[in-house]
Amino acid sequence: MTDRTLDMALPAANSRPSAAARALAALRRLPAPALFGGAVVLFWVIAALTVQYWGLPEPLQIAGKRLQAPSLSHWLGTDALGRDVLSRTLHGAVFSVPVAIGVVAAGVAIGAALGAIAGYVGGVVDGLIMRLVDVTVAFPPILLAMTVAAILGPGLVNAAFAMVIVWWPIYARLMRAQVLEVREREHVEAAVAGGAGHTRVLCVHILPLCWTPILVNATMDFGQVVLLAASLSFIGLGASPPTPEWGSMISEGASRFYNWWVAFGPGMAILTLVLGFSFLGDGLRDLLDPRSS
Amino acid sequence: MLRFVLRRVIATPLLLLGVATVAFFLSQMTKGDPLSAIVPERQMNNPEVVAAAKQKWGLDKSLPERYALYIGNLVQGDLGTSFSTRRPVSADLADRLPATFELVLAAMSFATLFGITLGVVAARYRDRAADYLARMFALIGSSLPVFWSGLLLLFVFSVQLGWLPGPGRLDARSVAPPGITGLYTIDALLAGNLPLFVEALHHLLLPAVVLGWSVVGVIVRLVRSSLLEVLGQDYIRTARAKGAGEKRVMLHHALRNALIPTLTIIGFSFAYLITGAVLTETVFSWPGIGSYAVSSARSLDFPAIIGVTLVGSLAFLLANLATDLAYALANPRVKLQ
Amino acid sequence: MAYDVLARPLRLMGSTALALTLAASLATSLSSAASAQEKDTLVIARSMDVNALDPARAFCDTCQIVLTSIYDPLTTLAPDNKTIVPRLAKSWEANENQTVFTFHIDPTAVFADGSPVEGKDVKWSFERLKNMKGNPSFFMDGVKSIEVTDPKTVVITLDASNSEFLNKLSAGFTGVINSDVAIAQGATADADADKTDKAEAWFLTHSAGSGPFALSAYRPDDELRLTRNEAYWGKKPAFSEVVFRQTKDSVAQAQMLESGAADIAMQIDMDTAGSLASPQVKTEIIPSYNFLYIALGAGAKSNTVPLTPDVRKAIALAIDYEGMIDFTVGGKGKKQSTAIPNGFSGTEGLPERKENLAEAKELLKKAGVPDGFEIEAVYPNDNIYGVDINLMMQKVQQDLARIGVKVSLKPSTYPVWRTQVNGDGIPLTAVYYAPDYYGTGQYADYFAMMPGTSWSKRAGAANNPAIINSKEAPLLAKALASAGADQEKAFHELALEMMADNIIIPMVSPDLVLAHRADIEGVRYSACCNLPVAEISRKK
Repeated sequence: MTDRTLDMALPAANSRPSAAARALAALRRLPAPALFGGAVVLFWVIAALTVQYWGLPEPLQIAGKRLQAPSLSHWLGTDALGRDVLSRTLHGAVFSVPVAIGVVAAGVAIGAALGAIAGYVGGVVDGLIMRLVDVTVAFPPILLAMTVAAILGPGLVNAAFAMVIVWWPIYARLMRAQVLEVREREHVEAAVAGGAGHTRVLCVHILPLCWTPILVNATMDFGQVVLLAASLSFIGLGASPPTPEWGSMISEGASRFYNWWVAFGPGMAILTLVLGFSFLGDGLRDLLDPRSS
Repeated sequence: MLRFVLRRVIATPLLLLGVATVAFFLSQMTKGDPLSAIVPERQMNNPEVVAAAKQKWGLDKSLPERYALYIGNLVQGDLGTSFSTRRPVSADLADRLPATFELVLAAMSFATLFGITLGVVAARYRDRAADYLARMFALIGSSLPVFWSGLLLLFVFSVQLGWLPGPGRLDARSVAPPGITGLYTIDALLAGNLPLFVEALHHLLLPAVVLGWSVVGVIVRLVRSSLLEVLGQDYIRTARAKGAGEKRVMLHHALRNALIPTLTIIGFSFAYLITGAVLTETVFSWPGIGSYAVSSARSLDFPAIIGVTLVGSLAFLLANLATDLAYALANPRVKLQ
Repeated sequence: MAYDVLARPLRLMGSTALALTLAASLATSLSSAASAQEKDTLVIARSMDVNALDPARAFCDTCQIVLTSIYDPLTTLAPDNKTIVPRLAKSWEANENQTVFTFHIDPTAVFADGSPVEGKDVKWSFERLKNMKGNPSFFMDGVKSIEVTDPKTVVITLDASNSEFLNKLSAGFTGVINSDVAIAQGATADADADKTDKAEAWFLTHSAGSGPFALSAYRPDDELRLTRNEAYWGKKPAFSEVVFRQTKDSVAQAQMLESGAADIAMQIDMDTAGSLASPQVKTEIIPSYNFLYIALGAGAKSNTVPLTPDVRKAIALAIDYEGMIDFTVGGKGKKQSTAIPNGFSGTEGLPERKENLAEAKELLKKAGVPDGFEIEAVYPNDNIYGVDINLMMQKVQQDLARIGVKVSLKPSTYPVWRTQVNGDGIPLTAVYYAPDYYGTGQYADYFAMMPGTSWSKRAGAANNPAIINSKEAPLLAKALASAGADQEKAFHELALEMMADNIIIPMVSPDLVLAHRADIEGVRYSACCNLPVAEISRKK
């Protein structure tokens, strides 16, 4: 990732409409694809939260004859154990959505904290943190994630941990670049001259102005996390069966692709969720950072 | 400029050393006992065999000693011996590198060709149906998991239609061309064996498309936006005013200028291709570095894992370096850190 | 399937194009290599598990096929899969109590380089096998001495009677190596061969045997090539070249067969076998000697309740064995009562394992856990003999839930699994086994609850000596000292004991799909050699 410093496009600080009104106004300015993407993402989030109340067949129980093609009773067919693929696909959201959110949130938290410290403190601390960042981003992401996941042993939590290790440096770089820029601004200099402590300067005067590029990047990254998590499960280093995780479901389908429907549901699930995040991220970026569109 | 280049060139081996260090210490944190990958199953309870294996593989030494030994050997180009193939990791990698290189090269060619075409179409017909279609196609490519799109395409084109061959680099009956470059297509041509070239190309097509499609999106986006930017500039207006046709404006004036930033993105997409190659090779039984990475991660073959990681990181760093340099050359005004 | 109507003509177009390409490339290769011999390549699509190609180090199913094609063992197994017949040894004598065996090497036998096979090569190969201390070294367990009495005669003396010794010598791992050639490449048979032998890498790309084929190339994850040994002293194989093509999954193997890209595939699962439609492909479904089993680690550290004989029996009674066969292999498999394959000595008339939930619950009540308990299942995440172990374990999970035993599934990578099973032990695991030779002794040595066997250690005999079954060792000794009906009877009693241990509970013995192109002849499954490649030919 090239660490371009992105300009700020937050609404001017002096005139502050209510948060709700601002959100609504922002929503109205979102282009149609972004709204569509948002709706898809919302669908999967709702699925993740409420799928157990939808009255679907149990995702871990046998629902009928094995390997049935899609039909009215099983819209996406049944898998090699006779479980309903549609139900398993929808239940997959329970794992993929929280993993995506958790990994990005943890990556942002760790990356932003270290990046802010590096940018604000500078000197040796900056040097140490940024060299660690440099080394971490020198790994091709999948190889690093695979190595860590293999070492920790298969499992969704371990895979998530591996992905946090892959993602934090990106946010550290972004945050550091932002902090470096914002700390030169007048209001910060004024605060420092006014005798404010370092913690206060950093948390009150600098950080609130640094979030935009990180938010934009984070939205774009959700999809990538979903893909990488599924990839790790596909090669057997992520979620373990019988968990209805999309990547491991595709891996089950890969060994019997004459029964294409076994992998079709989870494949479409990944595709729609990642597309949704892409559209949403694109729209947000256009909105918050018009220069880069 | 020169200082920047020098700095980056010097940084590369240092970063590699960092990667090797991190990978080495990570690998020491495993729950799996490396001995269980080395000592024959039926000899696990034979203390004499276990002790001999420990000594042979240096596992009786302390961690710092092992690290020093590893780095010492690494500097001399020795990546150790794989637990599972029992060959030097460097030999394993050398055998497999050409397959991956051929795949990535083909995928990159496909992505570049397709990405630029679609990008031009999207910019030319901005906000019209063609623009949306082109961008949608590109976006789907980067949102599809390659391990699923690969399966789907194999199912349709190889199993159902029978147009393309199944997994592998050549038909089983064919003998690999004499290994000059290790790229079967090139080697077949060099050997003057046209049918073999066609066959190798046939086998390469599907994995290259699957892998390439995953990065078309990045290229389309960049070509489109830089074209749109260029099209808004004065000299284009001048060209138009002088009566140049739309096609001429697009191809001669706009594209030429828009290509410079595009070249940089190609280096950048290389990074994505490495990631995609790991999964594509697994689906297509492609005997390259990617499938080696997966099998060594699954069998906790640490010398192999570290070796693959180093090679991957080297490729990654070189691609980034090339990208930065190209970017710097293209935009001399850009501040270089 | 409806879309096939469209697919046929399209596929025809594709295959015509392919045929043209093939014809063209064939023409070039024929013109470039003028050979007196007829050239034909046999392609075997296979997921290869090769760990080495040195007979003293290798240990895998593919190795059985390759090694028996390259190296001649002293004996081999007849097509009836029961009778031991001569191969490198033209004849042999054994003393009455099966401790001294004298082998007479076939005087016409020569290695691929033309030099004669001699007693010194046999002695060297066997001693190296033993001293390498590798996986297959157990083939030489119990060998006291090997003497070469003249260049063509070898006398082997054992520590104890072993009526199955000749069976052991039919395995490819006991194949005879050209010692002069191998020594020149750094191989050694000395007592410290495990430390001083330097030929492992050489054996990955070369061979030094007297068998019908020689190794010409091996590229891991890609292919393994054998070429006909033109100096072969026996019946020359029909194919000039055999290619094992790495083909990971069953569907891809089926597809290669249908398109003609491969001639033989042996790892097609039942679901896929059912969808093979081409008249050009013949499939035979035959019983195999392979099996998958669950194993109970009575001494594992993470057990929540002691796995007493009653609890183990309850678990064995809670499995729906018929359903298991339907689930894992679509009904194309056999039940197996104990850890000895059906058809091996001692298995005839064994009682079948049956589901009995009422009795299982009763036993749990008796054991003080009427509501069941939680148990951790760690197993290698593999797909083997057409069975996805994950699927099998999900079925076990569902079956055991019916008696309140809650199984948490932890699929693992093989090395992590191995560390754990040989370390702290695993309460419930699942693995598989294929015969190394035709003989019941190997199963007792590996699975029986006798001191020192692999599974008595893994099941935790060190923490829980109660699992040792003291009746088993004498029964094994008795079986190996006798022959015929007496041997069968002793093995049968041993099998009953192993069954009652309920440490190893077989789930299924999957049938084997032998699929090949219609023009291929002579394909058969062998308990010693897996697939005797040299017997295969193409119809004219």
